[in-house]
Amino acid sequence: MRRLSSWRLGPPIMAILLILVIWQICVSLFDMPAWMLPSPVQIIQEGIAIYPRLLGHTLSTIQIALGGFAIGVSVGILLAVALHLVPQVRQSVYPLMVLSQNIPIIALAPLLVLWFGFGDLPKILIITLVCFFPVAVSLIDGFRQTSPTLKNYMQMIGASRRQIFFKLEWPSALPYFFSGLKISATYSVMGAVIAEWLGAQEGLGVFMTLASSAFRTDQVFVAIFVIMAISLILFGFILLLEKWLVPWDTDQKEAHKDGE
Amino acid sequence: MVNKLEIDGLTHTFGGQNNVHVLDDLSLSVAEGEFVTLLGPSGSGKSTIFNLIGGLFKPDQGDIFIEGERVNGQRGHISYLPQQDSLLPWRTIEDNVVLVQEITGKVDKAAAREWLERAGLGGYGASYPDVLSGGMRQRVAFIRSLLSPQELMLLDEPFGALDELTRLDMQDWLLKIWEMDRRSVLFITHSIEEALYMSDRILILSDKPARIVREIEVPFARPRHHDITLDNTFNQLKREIYQMLKVGNQND
Repeated sequence: MRRLSSWRLGPPIMAILLILVIWQICVSLFDMPAWMLPSPVQIIQEGIAIYPRLLGHTLSTIQIALGGFAIGVSVGILLAVALHLVPQVRQSVYPLMVLSQNIPIIALAPLLVLWFGFGDLPKILIITLVCFFPVAVSLIDGFRQTSPTLKNYMQMIGASRRQIFFKLEWPSALPYFFSGLKISATYSVMGAVIAEWLGAQEGLGVFMTLASSAFRTDQVFVAIFVIMAISLILFGFILLLEKWLVPWDTDQKEAHKDGE
Repeated sequence: MVNKLEIDGLTHTFGGQNNVHVLDDLSLSVAEGEFVTLLGPSGSGKSTIFNLIGGLFKPDQGDIFIEGERVNGQRGHISYLPQQDSLLPWRTIEDNVVLVQEITGKVDKAAAREWLERAGLGGYGASYPDVLSGGMRQRVAFIRSLLSPQELMLLDEPFGALDELTRLDMQDWLLKIWEMDRRSVLFITHSIEEALYMSDRILILSDKPARIVREIEVPFARPRHHDITLDNTFNQLKREIYQMLKVGNQND
């Protein structure tokens, strides 16, 4: 899996502003009805108006998204480490892991609700299911990419299996881990919304279902913007964490960029 | 006195489909504070000898003694410097230097800083390896092996990946540092000149299966200077070794 490179803030913000401006102009130019496509200004106004009601839904979504993300990532790490340290297990479990990603969530979610009720558990399970996979796969790849020269060196100086894992394999897989983590982070918010959409009392997914069936397209867009914002903030937080925990890799990349 | 390293009748064959007979009844020894070089054609099993001494696997026959203790298949008795890129990229220079000490249990950061200073790397303690040149990285790796508590050093073509000028520079540097703390060294190279310049004794290996075909005592006094490479005796020895390696290859 290739690494996702870190980005700079200026260009993407300009691009987003440009899209919003074009959008605004098109809506007024073609005189679009608000139930078909509201303008960005209308969406922002609606967002401010329904803010108190939206806040509860947003917090609820953030809560299960983060909960599911944390559990999913933990499961991903544990699986990757187990599969790496016990190769016999890898052969039998790896295909199952891939199969787990082929279960259609749309079919699974109602079943989970049927089995575990309308509480948080079925939702967290769905998010865990979509989040563990990118982390597990990228970590396993990372472990396998460990330099054979360095491994030979560690063995020659008498390092134990445990020391080789913690001093060599884990740090060398860390950049890969962060690639998986970024993908999982965006999946977690989407997973939360889909899970709520299929059965919940609160959350942005519920809010969107209600808004959409009432033809309140402006409110649907408000929810979409909020979801994007949550994903971006989570993503940004992981970038910062990566910069802090993987300085040798991120600094190097920036040095190359400056050299261009 | 007991030799630092004593290898007795080492024989090894790699199994698998095309059984490769790598070592055949190989014996050698390295005395306390001695610099011994294994010189041989590439692919003559030099690295296998190192892996056996390092205990990565057990020899089919023969014994390895370090300070009189039989260490067949046991790891952690040697200090090791591979050809290149053995620094961990996520550790600063200083943390890389103490890596071996972490493995063996006793970290001494003050000594690490002191040696980096002595080696002319004082300002780089907090840098990451990727800002250093290949030669500098090898210096750091050498300091790391000097700081390891195991007294026998195995140097596996440590300058093999460097360009010619850096290489000459590194030879002088390594000898200078080595003179400060004379460890027993077993050195691998395929450069005849490097072997003559660096060592007390040269062991010439045959092609596979490797045996020692000749042993040469290098007569030059230490500390050495590159001037000796212009010396008649030096060139005489160089020619002899060259002939020997050539003959060895023709016998295949």
